[in-house]
Amino acid sequence: MASRPAVEAAPTLALEHIDALSRAAGEDAGILAIRREARARLTPFALPDRANHLWRYTNPARFLPDGDPTAQGPADVSPTWRLDESLSVAALLAGGALRVVEIGDAARNAGVVVEDLHRAAADGFFGTVVPAAHGFLEAINAAAWRGGVLVRVPAGVSLEHPIRLRLVAGDLMVPRVLVVAGEDSSFEIIEGHVGGGAASKVIGVTEIVVGAHADVRYGLVQRWEAGVTGHLTARARVAAGAHFQMSLASFGGTAFKADVGAFLAGEGARVETFGVAMGGEAQHFDHHTEHIHEARKTSSNLDFKVALTGAARSAYTGMIRIAPGAGGSEAYQENRNLLLSGQARAESIPELEILTDDVRCSHGATVSPIDPEQLFYLESRGLAPMQAARVIVYGFLDQTLGRLPQTTRERIQALVAARLHTE
Amino acid sequence: MNHDSNPVFSCAGVRIHIGEKEVVKGVDLTVQPGEIHAIMGPNGSGKSTLANGLMGHPAYAVEGTVTLAGEDVSSLPPDEKARRGMFLAFQYPVAVPGVTVASFLRAAVSAVRGADVPVREFRKELLERMADLEMDPAFAGRYLNDGFSGGEKKRVEILQLLMLKPRFALLDETDSGLDIDALKVVARGINTAASNDTGMVLVTHYQRLLNYVHPHVVHVFMDGRIVRTGGPELALELEERGYDWLEPAAAAGGV
Repeated sequence: MASRPAVEAAPTLALEHIDALSRAAGEDAGILAIRREARARLTPFALPDRANHLWRYTNPARFLPDGDPTAQGPADVSPTWRLDESLSVAALLAGGALRVVEIGDAARNAGVVVEDLHRAAADGFFGTVVPAAHGFLEAINAAAWRGGVLVRVPAGVSLEHPIRLRLVAGDLMVPRVLVVAGEDSSFEIIEGHVGGGAASKVIGVTEIVVGAHADVRYGLVQRWEAGVTGHLTARARVAAGAHFQMSLASFGGTAFKADVGAFLAGEGARVETFGVAMGGEAQHFDHHTEHIHEARKTSSNLDFKVALTGAARSAYTGMIRIAPGAGGSEAYQENRNLLLSGQARAESIPELEILTDDVRCSHGATVSPIDPEQLFYLESRGLAPMQAARVIVYGFLDQTLGRLPQTTRERIQALVAARLHTE
Repeated sequence: MNHDSNPVFSCAGVRIHIGEKEVVKGVDLTVQPGEIHAIMGPNGSGKSTLANGLMGHPAYAVEGTVTLAGEDVSSLPPDEKARRGMFLAFQYPVAVPGVTVASFLRAAVSAVRGADVPVREFRKELLERMADLEMDPAFAGRYLNDGFSGGEKKRVEILQLLMLKPRFALLDETDSGLDIDALKVVARGINTAASNDTGMVLVTHYQRLLNYVHPHVVHVFMDGRIVRTGGPELALELEERGYDWLEPAAAAGGV
């Protein structure tokens, strides 16, 4: 067996720093207790075994923070971001703190709350969807997170315009997002990751609590600058009769691992995950999705597309778990990878744990180069080879993007088009 | 048709290899603007290889000279041939999922005309040409050839012919897989293109299309060669007698 990674890779998380951070941020005792408990999980520290399915394709040591993430105060940055009429809420996290919160009148009047998670977290939901036990990076986040936002949409509230969260990476960012969607609420929320540079690190966690019969469309859009090494975990817990749709779009960074998914916790819950990733040069992507069916008559659908140029690498692992008590459920998963260069590589591994017979489930995975017959067809219509390839890639990704809600779709389509024109 | 003008297309000594095998064994053709040629021959004679090879399919090694409106385009890649006014209607058009007929055609029209066509103007022209071909306007929003029936694919090929207005078009088995109503519509499109001075070569092994499109010149193609060339009456003779009577000509190495 491969040797275990060295214990000296342990992140330094000094207890006095954690206490000071918590005190300075004005947290209550409950949050501090969660931090301390998470820290205790990391002692003694060991990286996960590379034989573990989650870490087979990416070295976990890449994500370890340099130094003690709790040792410094918030960075001195003053980014600005304005609400416009196309948004219900604009909130910006940068330099280890929530810097901008703007709430439109309609959302404010409906009782939508957007506030600093440090002071708002002890509401019974924090840490319930992504507990520190989830993994070593989630434990580091739970112990050392700095800069967080709580978004709460009350029961019965429908928002016409999306909520936009923007997270700006710095040298080290350990952000935390908690979204609480009340029963019968309906809204779109987009979490956009930008910024960073050489040697930047990000360890982010997002928890989403979807109340009964709510309808939440969540977008996770990652377009870091080159040089960022980042890990984002996002999980939703979806109650009975609710619908949760996740749109995933990965463009940036040097090494990016995403661990996203949903627990279908109540009868009749529906989850869809639609995503695209575009990698080039020496980018390394590792996406893991989980659809965990815990209740009867739940349904999930996943469609994830990856297009790679240069010497980019992508690994995709997709878990579908159907618990013994989740009869009458259905789950579909499809992952397609398009390789635009001879040096690009992609892996696609479905992981199915079907623990009941009363279920409909299917999965499909392909990794293939661009079809020369498609290229010839488009070239015979006057499109230059590069343009023909762009049209094919755009179409490949757009089949999935066509399933997204309008605002997110248009945003991601624009990013895809921009990326295609720089390749 | 104007025989006094310069030919819109000619090729000389065209030989095409697929791997080691010589499939097209020396073809010469000259097509005038607005002129329709039919190349007829049995299955497996190399007709489709000729059409794809002339357009520049990457899998085929083509020798010989290909001239488009006086310019030697033998060594040009397919996109440059297309931008100079050459077109191939495919026997089996490939699906391009995620790309709508309208967005694809706009890209193609812009590429061939060398300038972006304003959306509104393009839309109007597209809908008019679709109406000419009795196509549901909803087709414009469908993914190109994705899940299309054989007949729908052929109509979309003809739609492209009418939108791109090439100087010269090769139509590879455009009549196959069509019911009689669709055949008439496709024939109308071909006749419209000819009246716009597009020179055309129809590759077919049926006489059926020629009831609605009247070729000026008919070539019989067997074993990689043109073995006989004549007027429209040759097509009728083929319909009556089949190809067997031409076997000696084919064995002798063509005309």
